[in-house]
Amino acid sequence: MTKFWHVFRHEYTRHVFQRRFLFALLSVPFFILFMIGMIFFMVGMETDTTPMGYVDHSGILARGMTAPPPSAPNRPVPMRAFADEQAAEAALQAGEIQAYYVIPQDYAASGQAQLVYIKEPRYPARGQFYDLLLANLLADQPPEIAARILEGNDLVVRSADASQEASDENWFSILMPMFTGIIFIAAIATTSGYLLQAVVEEKENRTMEIMVTSVSPGQLMTGKILGDIAIGLTQLFVWSIFIVIGIVIGRNYLDFLRGIQIPWGTLALAVALIIPTFIMNAALMAALGATVTDSREGQQVSGLFMLPIWLPYMLIALIMESPNSPIVVAMSLFPFTAPLTMIMRAGFATIPAWQIAFSIIALSLTALGSIWLAGRAFRLGMLRYGQRLRWKEIFARGGAKA
Amino acid sequence: MPTVELSHITKSFGPLKAVDDASFTVEKGEIFGLLGPNGAGKTTAIRVLLDIFKPDSGTTSILGGPMTEAKKDHIGYMPEERGLYQDISLERCLIYLATLKGLTPAEAHQRIGAYLEQFDLAEHRNKKVKELSKGMQQKAQLINTLIHQPELIIIDEPFSGLDPVNTQMVKDLLRGQREKGVTILMSTHQMHQVEELCDRLVLIDHGKVVLYGGLDEIRRQFSGHAVTVRSSAALPSLPGVERIEQHNGSARLNLLPDTVPQEVLRALVERNILIEQFEIASPTLDEIFINVVTRPEA
Repeated sequence: MTKFWHVFRHEYTRHVFQRRFLFALLSVPFFILFMIGMIFFMVGMETDTTPMGYVDHSGILARGMTAPPPSAPNRPVPMRAFADEQAAEAALQAGEIQAYYVIPQDYAASGQAQLVYIKEPRYPARGQFYDLLLANLLADQPPEIAARILEGNDLVVRSADASQEASDENWFSILMPMFTGIIFIAAIATTSGYLLQAVVEEKENRTMEIMVTSVSPGQLMTGKILGDIAIGLTQLFVWSIFIVIGIVIGRNYLDFLRGIQIPWGTLALAVALIIPTFIMNAALMAALGATVTDSREGQQVSGLFMLPIWLPYMLIALIMESPNSPIVVAMSLFPFTAPLTMIMRAGFATIPAWQIAFSIIALSLTALGSIWLAGRAFRLGMLRYGQRLRWKEIFARGGAKA
Repeated sequence: MPTVELSHITKSFGPLKAVDDASFTVEKGEIFGLLGPNGAGKTTAIRVLLDIFKPDSGTTSILGGPMTEAKKDHIGYMPEERGLYQDISLERCLIYLATLKGLTPAEAHQRIGAYLEQFDLAEHRNKKVKELSKGMQQKAQLINTLIHQPELIIIDEPFSGLDPVNTQMVKDLLRGQREKGVTILMSTHQMHQVEELCDRLVLIDHGKVVLYGGLDEIRRQFSGHAVTVRSSAALPSLPGVERIEQHNGSARLNLLPDTVPQEVLRALVERNILIEQFEIASPTLDEIFINVVTRPEA
């Protein structure tokens, strides 16, 4: 048992304290920061802060109410009153304002206003004028009613069993399972790459012979696989901390982040699926490392293993449109495609309990089978320097007699 | 009870019979040479012994029985293909491998410090293994083999890549281990090292044991019916001598079947030939090796 622990610790520290791991670790928070920065930049670019003008013949805007301030990253657009259309037109031509509204005397009855522009103003400026107009139209209403109307409506769509919910304010929650799945699978892909590389390196630099005469193949493989899983969980833990920090800070500035509710059910499902997926993938990568001749070949072949795991991501449109279609259900039950399909489906549909149970059991059995396969491939292939181990040798009766 | 025993081991890889009904024993406290040309089956025999490969037939015994996980801590193995982690520091690599041999990290640290001093590697302890020369890596590998004070050392080509000073150091080290009662199974191509160090040997060719026994016994077995004579005078023809061959200032006198060496010595003395050296001609291990592996039936 002690030797397993030494292998585990060696595998973990060897990778976690390497520059490439720190790079992978920081890539997600940097990506999130970059995306938030881009959102701010794009929205900021969309807001033209050149004043908007208005000529108010109705007197509504003279009631003195102000609109609620725009939410970040929108910037406030100044509103400038003109006495008549000639003055407003002169200001428009001079470029002092980006457009002007003419509110007719009978606006309260007709609801019609005129917008005059040279280049059509973008929505943030128009929206802020509508808010100003609305605030003044509601000037006679009790404050709480005015505030509620200004807040607008929020249509909530909820599944029959109340397990799924989406609304204008909470739209991002639909995408949360998808992002969760992608982040989990990204963690699996990167960490299993480390294990593949470690096994191939031990073959290439001939350390393997020393290892197997010091520790049993079982303890060696268990230490390596669990070390690899610990690396992946470390990665996920650090990413989660950065994501939570990002949401906590971001919700002060971004409306769509305010509506986020942590999908605990989906997270629990993800954890139940991800653990056997981690083990399955790590064991398969160890088996692969034992069968290939060098790390380049290993990287190429590992792509084939990762392809089905990423396949649901490529079929995202199908999963969103028909989350309970036969093909999507089949992908939910097939161990290689199940993790991402299940997690993504959870955002768009209510998954029957039997499918969840089947998927977790199938994945767990595949993980156990992968460990068996890894042990067999390892025993047969560990000392095949420069010579590829064929899969039929692994499955051949008596093949473990290396 | 022998420390190591291989009994009628056969191991094939597809159509190739790497080891073919090989049997030999290694006794406690001896240095035993495992010899053979490239591809003879030496490494396969060692891997079968260490339970890395399962034999097709035959049995092995190591340290008194079949190989077990616990016995791994009592065996020091230095394989033919050197294996150390290249991307970590020398000290870290050695400590890790020593802990896999049952030492605590503290014990490993302490012992490695002493060995690094002894092997002149102390100043390189923080260098990555890949930054060390081949000879330094060879010494590091030896440290890894000895660090846990094994009862049995299995060592493949221990002198390759070493300069004469380090070669001598390793030889002294192996002799020191033998004096402590450690059993050493050494595979090498350097016959003069075998002659210097080994008590007994086995020669494998095409997977089969072709020579096995004590060094002197084997030499006697291969010594032809001849004597070597060194003299400043020209040697005359002598009774009982079939022919005389000159070799680097000495002469090899091949004797007729019924001639004994004492008769030749007496004949030389009677003829007043000044004799500087007279000895029973004994082949070198190199000669025996070449003789055995190149003869048609070998």
